Amino acid sequence: MEKVLLRNIDVPDSHTLAVYKSRGGYRAFEQVLRGMSPEKLIEEVKASGLRGRGGAGFPTGMKWSFVPKDSPKPKYVICNADESEPGTFKDRLLIEKDPHAVIEGTILAAYAIQSHTAFIYIRGELVFGSKVLQGAIDEAAQAGYLGKNILGSGYDLELILHRGAGAYICGEETGLLSSLEGGRGWPKVKPPFPATHGLFGCPTVVNNVETLATLPWIIDQGAARYAAIGTEKSKGTKLFSVSGHIRKPGVYEVEMGYPFKRFLEEDCGGVPNGRKLKGVIPGGSSMPVLRADELEPVRMDYESMQAAGSMLGSGGVIVMDDSTCMVQAAWNVARFYAHESCGQCTPCREGCHWMEKIFRRIESGEGEKGDLDLVLNISGNITGNTICPFGDAAAWPAAAFIKKYRAEFEAHITQKRCVVI
Amino acid sequence: MESVKLTIDGQEISTAKGKTVIEAAAEAGIAIPHYCYHPKLPIAGNCRMCLVEIEKMPRLQIACNTQASEGMAVQTRSSKVLEARRAVMEFLLINHPLDCPICDQAGECKLQDYYMEHDLKASRFEERKEHERKREIFGPYVVFDGERCIKCTRCVRFLQEVTHTGELAVVNRGDHSTIALFANETVDNPLSGNIVDICPVGALTDRDFRFKVRAWYLKNTPSVCPGCSTGCNITIGSYQNRIARFKPRINEEVNSHWICDEGRYCFHPLTEVERLTSPLVRQEGGLAPTDWETALQAALSGLSAATPLAGVLSGRNTNEEAFLFARLVKKLSSQAAIEAVYYERKLTEVEAILKSPDRSPNFRGAREMGASPNGGFEPLLRQLIGGKFRAAYIVGEDLLSLAPDGEKIKNALEKLSFLVVQDTRLTPTARLAHVVLPATNFAEKEGTYTNRKGRVQKLNAALVPPAGALQDWEIFARLQNKAGEKIFYQSPAEIFQAIAHEVVRYQGLSYAAIGDQGVQLSDET
Repeated sequence: MEKVLLRNIDVPDSHTLAVYKSRGGYRAFEQVLRGMSPEKLIEEVKASGLRGRGGAGFPTGMKWSFVPKDSPKPKYVICNADESEPGTFKDRLLIEKDPHAVIEGTILAAYAIQSHTAFIYIRGELVFGSKVLQGAIDEAAQAGYLGKNILGSGYDLELILHRGAGAYICGEETGLLSSLEGGRGWPKVKPPFPATHGLFGCPTVVNNVETLATLPWIIDQGAARYAAIGTEKSKGTKLFSVSGHIRKPGVYEVEMGYPFKRFLEEDCGGVPNGRKLKGVIPGGSSMPVLRADELEPVRMDYESMQAAGSMLGSGGVIVMDDSTCMVQAAWNVARFYAHESCGQCTPCREGCHWMEKIFRRIESGEGEKGDLDLVLNISGNITGNTICPFGDAAAWPAAAFIKKYRAEFEAHITQKRCVVI
Repeated sequence: MESVKLTIDGQEISTAKGKTVIEAAAEAGIAIPHYCYHPKLPIAGNCRMCLVEIEKMPRLQIACNTQASEGMAVQTRSSKVLEARRAVMEFLLINHPLDCPICDQAGECKLQDYYMEHDLKASRFEERKEHERKREIFGPYVVFDGERCIKCTRCVRFLQEVTHTGELAVVNRGDHSTIALFANETVDNPLSGNIVDICPVGALTDRDFRFKVRAWYLKNTPSVCPGCSTGCNITIGSYQNRIARFKPRINEEVNSHWICDEGRYCFHPLTEVERLTSPLVRQEGGLAPTDWETALQAALSGLSAATPLAGVLSGRNTNEEAFLFARLVKKLSSQAAIEAVYYERKLTEVEAILKSPDRSPNFRGAREMGASPNGGFEPLLRQLIGGKFRAAYIVGEDLLSLAPDGEKIKNALEKLSFLVVQDTRLTPTARLAHVVLPATNFAEKEGTYTNRKGRVQKLNAALVPPAGALQDWEIFARLQNKAGEKIFYQSPAEIFQAIAHEVVRYQGLSYAAIGDQGVQLSDET
């Protein structure tokens, strides 16, 4: 398979402009400046079938087309580099190893909606990544890819790197906007949507790092070529961050539709130490866990994951072998969401902590009959009733762990101890 | 205006385009429960209590942030909606201290009300509750209980959007989220008390009111604030014939949902005084109690014998009282001057949101009822100090307290050959009088005020006046009768009828039609 996203990362000094250009970098942007209209660019991305890689999978070209063309307000493009989903570390690799691909993608998105100010909102903890990225931005500006009258085209673009202050919720696009505006990282009630009322109330597009880093290849190689990769509805390739009980953890670029079981067993080398696979969270900690026996038909694309009762999400694959206590795993995930809930809306603020407290009680041998149904009920009462998708992200995995491993939870409650050796 | 048709709970409703579902429902008399939504604050959408089911939408939607659209079918009481509300109630209560027996909000708490309507189940929460700051002083009138707070952010939004003072913010995350003051800030802006009113639970309580009366013991009387000539509509909450609190009463033409702190607490100095319970007449050795008949006769003889006469009325007297007073004073002296007390102060930007510069709620009405054309209160005061008058009849104001002229006024009053003072207490001014007539305060009387902008509004009696005091209008009527002019009015309503006949700008008004929202004088914008 030809690599789209990881094509440069093994080349020494891949983060420099010189190496990036020697590998065809900024060719796409130059080509656009030479004579591709913003409309044509949007059409091209639509035709590629590229869907957002942040987790929701919304078609990228369509997202851009919602931005009003005649708005008198400034328009903004934001690269969402606040990668914080447990089990997900793909954007970090792109930022550190191929920052110019991220920058060129951001420039292309900005050009498509004719924005003249773009931001990269990077997770505060990615200190090294932000240094690499700032270096690359400076290099790009020096080379004339950013700033006033870019390459003599008359098009201006300023790109600002902004470091977050350490909250998972700021990766949610409207939470990110509130944070970037200088406020508390609280998601905004929708409608209105960012496409019309985003940053400072102006039309805004927020795209994930991986989404943007795909764009130069699509423009350079053509939408048709990209659309030829993958499945009917899930086009192209996708990065997966593989961690946990697996022989070869790391970031993998996989063609959409690739068999999940084969990926784990062959590409990633399977479960080590003679252990057996117990379960996999396929799309980052917010996605429902899949049992080992459910993996056979699952393919690595949006539709197949959904059909299996989970989601592709951010592609954070967390592998758990049979030494894993699922009660502890559920509590671990619940604790994360209880800690990160922004506290703005009632169901998430109160429900996440309630679930965490119950899981903690079961894990410490104080579980009671009825606790499991109570968590399922709390999870259901959060789902769909919150301001932002965080509520679902906390509620889904909690319910999934119980539904998929109910016997183990019940054993914990009745025997008041862990039954996993 | 463009309108849209939708159905809410099967009821067909037409509403203006742009209205939200919660507004459209309210217009049709369908109350959708809510905490964070407030018609005068920006939408927050955080409490999730107003979730409703909308046809063709897979998820429940918050009614406060969903625009009503053509053909929309909304369910506010479907089983899915009721279950979501029950769940929100349960979530709100798991960390709540459930301390209703010692909470001042009890009886008017939305947590209590909606629990009765939507949950009514024992708690399933067996974990340790999160604790928060208790009894934190937020400002001179506001105290905060972090455990009762439901983080609806109404207070934060009020201080950001209405007063623009922004003293409060939300801090911390998750179920440790709480409302807090910015460093070195206190909520001491002139409208601070309103955040207690809009707090739907017992998190913010009024330091002046708390622990005094349970809300359900209060007698609530709609009235008008006597603090200044804005004429904010209020509800007087009283208990055992004492005022316990003022609450704002909604009137979009006047004060919207708010009142200022000065107005809110002005009842203390106005009503909590040692009351006069008998008329007093000057005798050898000072003022001595007497009966009304003797006192009125003495007042009448004294005032008729000394002319010219200055009639000074309080700006807190009603139109009906001013109407009778003007006629009485003119009858007593052909060279009478009549004025209502009026004095202004400078207002800050935040004060000016509601307050008027003058502190006389009815100076305008009092003047329109027949003050003599001598250019206002200030010139009359100069004339008084200059010794133009030989007698004065001062109603409801302690003129000596008027800085900076108190001493000069005292000298002038002492030189008068006859002084009648009518007031609720024995003021320094009253101590100089030959006759003192015990009267009633704003909360004991019925009648009308005309605010600065020409809106005629109704006062209602919340308290019973002390034995021995008479209504001001009644004192004027009795003096008038004694002076030989027969007055047969039995109530302020009847006097208002006379005003509507005789005072040009009030012609055609009816007392009944004033209602609880007032009427605007017709030639005013």
